[in-house]
Amino acid sequence: MSADEPVKPAKTDGTDWIDKIWDFLTSLKLIVILLLILSALSIAGTVIEQNKPLQEYYRFYQPGTVALFSKLGLFDMYHSWWFVACLSLLALNITACAMDRYRGIMAGMRKRNLILDEPLSKSLQNLETIRYALPLDAVEKKMVELAGKGFSGKPVVTAAEDGGSHYFFEKGKYSRLSFFLTHLSILIIFLGALVGSFFGYKGYVNIFEGETVSQLGTRAGKIQYLNFQVKCNTFHAEFYPSGAPMDYRSDLSIIQNGKEVIRKTIRVNDPLTFEGVTFYQSSYGGLPDQITIDVVNRDGALKGTVTAPFGRKVDIPGVADKVEAADYQEHFHMPDGSEGGRAIGVNIYPAKGGPTGLWLLVDHPEYDKQRGGDYYLRVKDLKLKKYTGLQVNRDPGEILVWLGSILLIAGIMIAFFISHKKLWISLRTDKKGRSELTIGGTANKNRDAFSREMAQMIQSLKEVS
Amino acid sequence: MTNSLLFGIATFVYFFAMVLYVSYLAFRSEMLGKAASLSLLGGVVVETAAIGMRWYESYQMEIGRAPLTNLYESLTFFAWTIALIYLVLERKFKIRTVGAFVAPFPFLIMAYASLNPNDIQPLVPALKSNWLISHVVTCFVGYAAFAVSFGVSILYIFKARAEQFSVKSAGSFWGFLPSSSALDEIGYKTIAIGFPLLTIGIVTGAFWANVAWGTYWSWDPKETWSLIVWLIYAAYLHARITRGWRGKRAAILSIVGFAATIFCYLGVNLILSGLHSYGGAS
Ligand code: HEM
Repeated sequence: MSADEPVKPAKTDGTDWIDKIWDFLTSLKLIVILLLILSALSIAGTVIEQNKPLQEYYRFYQPGTVALFSKLGLFDMYHSWWFVACLSLLALNITACAMDRYRGIMAGMRKRNLILDEPLSKSLQNLETIRYALPLDAVEKKMVELAGKGFSGKPVVTAAEDGGSHYFFEKGKYSRLSFFLTHLSILIIFLGALVGSFFGYKGYVNIFEGETVSQLGTRAGKIQYLNFQVKCNTFHAEFYPSGAPMDYRSDLSIIQNGKEVIRKTIRVNDPLTFEGVTFYQSSYGGLPDQITIDVVNRDGALKGTVTAPFGRKVDIPGVADKVEAADYQEHFHMPDGSEGGRAIGVNIYPAKGGPTGLWLLVDHPEYDKQRGGDYYLRVKDLKLKKYTGLQVNRDPGEILVWLGSILLIAGIMIAFFISHKKLWISLRTDKKGRSELTIGGTANKNRDAFSREMAQMIQSLKEVS
Repeated sequence: MTNSLLFGIATFVYFFAMVLYVSYLAFRSEMLGKAASLSLLGGVVVETAAIGMRWYESYQMEIGRAPLTNLYESLTFFAWTIALIYLVLERKFKIRTVGAFVAPFPFLIMAYASLNPNDIQPLVPALKSNWLISHVVTCFVGYAAFAVSFGVSILYIFKARAEQFSVKSAGSFWGFLPSSSALDEIGYKTIAIGFPLLTIGIVTGAFWANVAWGTYWSWDPKETWSLIVWLIYAAYLHARITRGWRGKRAAILSIVGFAATIFCYLGVNLILSGLHSYGGAS
């Protein structure tokens, strides 16, 4: 992209098929086309909703279309072979371009022209000669001071044949490496994603308050064992008066070899990481733990009270029947369609005959009266066991993704805002005994700004007296 | 509340600025131009006060959060960044004539924002994050730079056509506009400013998603569209740097890029669904 660089060495024979493939892989057209194709494919992926259950698609598309799209991988296109192939081609393209440009970039960093000779001065756009009545060494001192301001550092000095000297200043040489920084960082990000998908897992686990787990189910449908145990001490959900969620938090302990090694309260946006495994607050819920039921006669007299642990049959006092709390719903639908609140599904096992199932509503205690037996059941108390739902991740590639992202940002910044500037100055005594200074410079990017900088420097050099 | 009143005044001032910029282009009077820039600046000042006030009022309501979290707030912030970044670039690149194509955005966006509910709601857990601010600010400053490039590119297309077909006299309307090559260069430079910012915005967004949901990239429509925008501008930059695309083709890519930006910002929320849909029926 810069004028002062040699073009890459000409190929000896362009007909060789390896050369042809290479030319294709390093062609600039391929970059632009690939970037646009990837955009177009990604657009398709946002228009066709991804990874929905198949029956959802039948609501929107003809069965034939569903079959075709499903075969083409359009419902999970970011993981389809052709999308991955495009990404691989991109990676290949970047690698090839980086190899292709390696020599040119290294050559650009080398100091080649240390002196401002005839051919070089012809190629420079900001060239100026200034003459002074001052002695050479006075001019030199001022000049090094002035030029040093813009080009921090000392110049390379070369003695000229006619007794004068040549000075070469440069700045931002390493900005030429920005090409590698931007492009290789994209490869690092890809690598991080690959490492994550091969060596990491994403899973999910529910832990009841007070309970401990040491394994979880992964999204790939496997059981993952942990080297430690996770205990949920407590879970809390808080809500705003409007009912919108305010805070979800779980007090977790990590237990290893029987000892608690970490205790932390996690929230959304504040997960816990231990040995590379991260626990994220993701959901929550509750199941009934035990239920206390009043047994009431038709006439309203209390027959007795029974406490039933969830899922266990217990005797109903004063009756020959047994009761078992077997089901729980947070939002019960009444037969008339209205919301019934919390409901417990119980089975009644009479001494003779099969069991009957019925619902007891926690918030409408007299609901069971309408059933019309010789007694009815009334919920007196319900103890819920809360659980916290945690997303669990292990992603050894993540660090590469962040490293790549930081390098990418750094590379882009350097690529756009730092250029490699070179400045040549020569000093000699001319035929009339005056000090003669010739100055010229070049930059590989943002030449307008550099021209302005040069003009300023030339102006201040002219003012030296 | 005070903040709504101030936002209302800012909308009105932006309207005024838009009219002045268009008149400046039509009548070519330096006075009008200065008045246009000043009133846009006035709009920014009033809106800055409005945003500050809203922030302060959220603390008074004991909610206490940056005003960047629902559709109304993000629209008003978007209008504010466009006006501010445009003023900075107008000064830097001396492109006041572009104002007629950029100044309508703050007004139209504010007018659209006023159709949305503007009460200060407390934050749901997922939005309680410091990454939110860095993510939103970098994305929007990037978008604003793209908006300026869009205005410049439209002007470029008019100007290039005029240069091709008509005799240019310095006093004419077309002579009044910057030269097409200057517009071309500025269109590129503004993208060179927006692109790194968008990159930072995407990375901070990924980082935040990773902290909140445990995945840095889940191909949800908003993420995918921000990637699309990024790819389009990356294609623009490569076409320009490596293939020497300039002029009309570059200008068209810049316009396409901004259309994708607007879709990424609004279209995704209004038309597609995903993690990011604020406001709406979520
Ligand atoms: C598809 C893969 C890519 C390939 C093969 C590729 C290739 C190239 C090539 C050949 C150049 C020319 C540099 C020069 O002439 O000095 C270049 C420049 C550049 N590319 Fe890419 N590129 C790719 C993707 C990207 C992406 C996704 C970005 C996004 C950040 C990017 C950012 C840049 C930048 C900032 C430059 C200018 C570098 C400089 O000024 O030194 N590239 N790219």
